[in-house]
Amino acid sequence: MNAVATSLSRPVVTPEAARRRQRAQRRRAVLKVLEVGVLLFVAALIVFPIAWMVMTAFKTPITVYSYTIWFQPTLDNFREVFNPRWGIAQKVVNSTIIACSTVVIAIPIAVSAAYAFSRLQFPLKRVTFQWILLTQFIPAVTIVLPFYVMFRKLGLLDTYAALIIVDLAIVLPYAIWTIKGFIDAIPLEAEEAAIIDGASRLRVIWDIVVPMARPGILTAAIFCFILTWNEFLFGYLLSRQKAVPLPVGIIGFLLERGPVWELIAATGIIITIPMFFFALIIQRHFTKGMNLGAVR
Amino acid sequence: MRQRALAFGLLAPALAIVAFTTVYPMLSSFWTSFHILNLSRSIELGRFIGIENYTEAFNEDPEFWQVMRVTAAFVVLDVTFTILAALGLAILLLRQGFGTSILRTLLILPFAMSPALIGISWRFMLNPDFGAFNRTIAAVLPFMRNTDYLASPTMAMGALISADVWHWAPYFTFMLMGGLASIPPETQEAARIDGASDWRVFRDVTLPQLAPVLLVAIILKSVFALKVFDSIVTMTGGGPGRSTTTLAFFAYHIGFRDYQFGYAAAVAYVLTAILFLFSLSYMRFAFRRTA
Amino acid sequence: MASIQFNAVTKRWGDFFGVRELDLAVADQEFLVLLGPSGCGKTTTMRMVAGLEEPSSGEIFIGDDLVNDMPPRERDIAMVFQNYGLYPHMSVRDNIGYPLKVRGIPREDAQKRIDAAAAKVELGPFLERKPAQLSGGQRQRVALARSLVRTPRVFLMDEPLSNLDAKLRVTMRAELKHLHHELRITTIYVTHDQMEAMTLATRVGVMNKGVMQQLAPPEEVYNDPANMFVAGFIGSPSMNLVHGDLVDGTFRAEGVAVPGIGGGSRTGVVLGIRPEDLRVVGPGQGVFDAPVYSSELTGESTLVTFNVGGRHVCARGDRHFRCEIGEVVGVAVDPQRAYLFDAATENRIRL
Repeated sequence: MNAVATSLSRPVVTPEAARRRQRAQRRRAVLKVLEVGVLLFVAALIVFPIAWMVMTAFKTPITVYSYTIWFQPTLDNFREVFNPRWGIAQKVVNSTIIACSTVVIAIPIAVSAAYAFSRLQFPLKRVTFQWILLTQFIPAVTIVLPFYVMFRKLGLLDTYAALIIVDLAIVLPYAIWTIKGFIDAIPLEAEEAAIIDGASRLRVIWDIVVPMARPGILTAAIFCFILTWNEFLFGYLLSRQKAVPLPVGIIGFLLERGPVWELIAATGIIITIPMFFFALIIQRHFTKGMNLGAVR
Repeated sequence: MRQRALAFGLLAPALAIVAFTTVYPMLSSFWTSFHILNLSRSIELGRFIGIENYTEAFNEDPEFWQVMRVTAAFVVLDVTFTILAALGLAILLLRQGFGTSILRTLLILPFAMSPALIGISWRFMLNPDFGAFNRTIAAVLPFMRNTDYLASPTMAMGALISADVWHWAPYFTFMLMGGLASIPPETQEAARIDGASDWRVFRDVTLPQLAPVLLVAIILKSVFALKVFDSIVTMTGGGPGRSTTTLAFFAYHIGFRDYQFGYAAAVAYVLTAILFLFSLSYMRFAFRRTA
Repeated sequence: MASIQFNAVTKRWGDFFGVRELDLAVADQEFLVLLGPSGCGKTTTMRMVAGLEEPSSGEIFIGDDLVNDMPPRERDIAMVFQNYGLYPHMSVRDNIGYPLKVRGIPREDAQKRIDAAAAKVELGPFLERKPAQLSGGQRQRVALARSLVRTPRVFLMDEPLSNLDAKLRVTMRAELKHLHHELRITTIYVTHDQMEAMTLATRVGVMNKGVMQQLAPPEEVYNDPANMFVAGFIGSPSMNLVHGDLVDGTFRAEGVAVPGIGGGSRTGVVLGIRPEDLRVVGPGQGVFDAPVYSSELTGESTLVTFNVGGRHVCARGDRHFRCEIGEVVGVAVDPQRAYLFDAATENRIRL
């Protein structure tokens, strides 16, 4: 009834519009170049220190001091690092035992606590959860002073047990927090379905929640591993010889006659490579869900 | 009722560990801070001296106030640079593309590196005679050749901050990217249709919506900055003089170099109190959204 | 198989009442549909049968068992969830078999029953897939098979079709009806879709604000609504409800007078007439004249909305009927098909 006019006159591109179009294209090209430039610059900032450490690790003691990227690479430094004189092999074992034990103890405990915080109702729930998170903000110095005295009295200084105990303090609140975030995101229906299907509460956790939260549990485990592996302060203050972890081991290369840079770099690579590998596994969590962990 | 019993059972191990590893040392440190405890003489708690350790810090120890100034400067500059770098990177990396996806992956690397190792690498690369940073900077600015950065109070502080920014900026980039991604794009599109320039869209629409996340990031980074320790040990040793000695490093130094555990506990408690204030505000802002 | 009974059941959260003093008896083999807007308490009612919610007071029986403090797994019930509640990390076979697994049914026997249940809902070829590899309709069938696999006493279905597209919904509706006919298991079915309620139910329970408004067979809920809420909720487009007064058997409101209602005189009443009980006629030929506000062709009929004294009244006309907006037409009313309600209590006034 009310017909729409459909006759169109053929539009004309005015000179002004053509100019505008050209300007916009030029602007876009400039921005693109600028963007690529910034990306490259940032990439260089990130890569440069890492690349330099890698190169140093493959340099001979003489070329270490030269500002060149052309040199005859050698594996001597890695061989030297494992010389019993430096005891790096022992420190690799120490760090592995400490980090693995911490994760193996922390994760099951964190999963069960996270489930309780996510799904169950109990008095003082909110307060308890917030206080557990608050403990993450306690400075390590405050914790290490009494533990130093206690471990010394108990003869636990320079043992794995001592370092595992204090590492749990750093790792556990974080693990509970992360895993709770993942459990919160699991739809309740699957759990209710399992309850109706006849599963007990513990069985629901084991059969349904744990498998569904597996990516989150894995993320938390890897993150905790990285934290304990890179941990320095507790290791520095609570170990002497037997239980010294890898990062603290670097200090051993700071000799009277000066630091042995090429060995520090080689050890640095041994410390860092597995962490890079782990970090890449959980990268997706970082790029996607960082907000989730931090703001929830 | 059954649910409560189950909740308690599931929570008990976690609560026990948290209590033993954090609550107990917190209380113990607090108690120690009112005593003399000189480890070079005895491992047993010495005489009760009330708040003398605290009055010594605030009224008698000239180093304490210098350390407080250093700490304040470090935190303010460190947080500012980290957050600005992270915000810039987050905006840049939110665009899809080959370059950005590679950079996103690269960003993980500094974060996965041990701060102690970063500190010692920086020290190596800042060496006035052969350091890679030194030579690179000298290539652009020849008069900077053979500058001993770590021997100058200002530049040592700058070096320390640059290492910490390098380590932490990626983490906060991801956090802010999450925040930016959760802003409904329609709001920005509406502003563009309404005639706002790119800058106005960012300032009037994006930034206000990012504010809660940004605030949480700033508080969180302040907390991390106050806790920095490893890279100070391996890069500057708190020097030259006390110019890079922050509260955390100062407390360590008193305790484990001078063996004055009582006084160290008091200084550590000053830091704990500051961190506690930051943490409480963090809790308020971080939980406001879900409450 | 079993009956279900509610005795004065209340569910409250603080000051909020989810369900208020509900008495309800569901007969053995009945298909009861709970219908109502969101938040009316229908889902809460069903979840209390499941044991996922504890009643605050009152008693619930399944068969002869008082189930108030009985955990879900001992109630011998099965439930189909709105989002299906499938276990994403398990294959279809393991999903269907989970209720048997937790009950420790031997593998051999379990496999046989899984195959039988899967065959019943035509899932045979998909048993090794994960839920993520299935379409919405197939997931729905998995949820159904999982509830069929152990022949429970009671079926509970929480808006099971609401996530399917319109076409599939009609197909699945027919399948559900057939399945119930075949298995004869007592079923409680929750929905906000009146079409599902009308087609599936033995009886429909219409709920609002935690209170059961009417519990009756579908045709009775439609033809003999107990109150204004039921009258307005059932039927699409919904019943016209006009506020006015009854004067000597004639309903009067601004611009309207409908004679032949009966029942003497009374102030503060509401007259309800379904759009399908109004007819559009020539001006002056009906009970009253009114200008056309809009006219919509739905395909099977034409919906005509009039402006009557500032209110909108809708009539369902013939699908060939055409008119202009603003045109004045007559409206014919069959007084036998009109309902009268008390404006204050909203209860039906029976004449």
